[in-house]
Amino acid sequence: MNASPDPFAGAPDEALLVAYANGDGQAARILTARLLPRILAQATRMLGNQAEAEDVAQDAMMRVWKIAPDWRQGEAQVGTWVYRVVANLCTDRLRKRRGGVSLDQVAEPLDAAPSVVAQMQTQERMTALSDALAQLPDRQAQAVSLRHLEGLANPEIAQIMDISVRSVESLTARGKRALADIMAGRKAELGYDDDEPE
Amino acid sequence: MTMTNPNDDMLDDLFAQARAVKIAPSDDLMARVLENADAVQPKPAFMSAPQVGLWARLMDAIGGWPAVSGLAAATVAGVWVGVAPPASVEDLTASFIGDEVSISLFSNDLLFDAGALGDG
Repeated sequence: MNASPDPFAGAPDEALLVAYANGDGQAARILTARLLPRILAQATRMLGNQAEAEDVAQDAMMRVWKIAPDWRQGEAQVGTWVYRVVANLCTDRLRKRRGGVSLDQVAEPLDAAPSVVAQMQTQERMTALSDALAQLPDRQAQAVSLRHLEGLANPEIAQIMDISVRSVESLTARGKRALADIMAGRKAELGYDDDEPE
Repeated sequence: MTMTNPNDDMLDDLFAQARAVKIAPSDDLMARVLENADAVQPKPAFMSAPQVGLWARLMDAIGGWPAVSGLAAATVAGVWVGVAPPASVEDLTASFIGDEVSISLFSNDLLFDAGALGDG
């Protein structure tokens, strides 16, 4: 269906950002198509709530547009910078959730499971995981989510968080241990007594 | 020695489920993001020059509307001076090119003179 050739095919995100800053409207569309799905996915995994994730995604993209005129090429990659922005925006929201009302009641279903029951269980588990992340210190929550929810390698996480690889290892280890302890109390509730993972 | 947390299996399964979640941006979210992009996009510094018509260029050459109104007043005054010159203007003209002299080609004196010539 897309007959018009893409003038930015193969262009790095940084080039698109500069083109956008120079007034190119098409660059914004292509950049949105490239970045928004990943941003939304990262926010959804961390927050376990679609509406909140969409707000974060919109906010993160707004920051992309606003940084465009001041973007200094060669200093950072747009992808790395965006991971950091989303992680920070999500931990801001998780922090507000600490000690507050659980989002169980307002969470919207995620499109991940085939049957309604399985979908509800997945939703419940994702919300529980996100609530548990909210109990961790910000840096631990960020490191754990980048490592285990995004599947990034430690050197990349180090770059995103602007810390050493050793610090990443320490944060992820402590974060995961704390997360496991928090989740232990909800094992039966989340269906892990009779639904052991293979 | 590596300590393994008995809840690691559950946690790893939860992580795997979270990674498997597929979510695509809705059309509405896409639209909002592009709207924002358009709203804060820096506009190009250069602007195409507006088309200037002949009349506008002429106006500009002579100095705009104030100059045009001055020209119009001067033209009207000139025409009026031609039609009904004030006394001072007539006096001035006389002093440069002499007094007004009027000659009647058909005056009685000349006619008589002509007749005299014929008779004679």
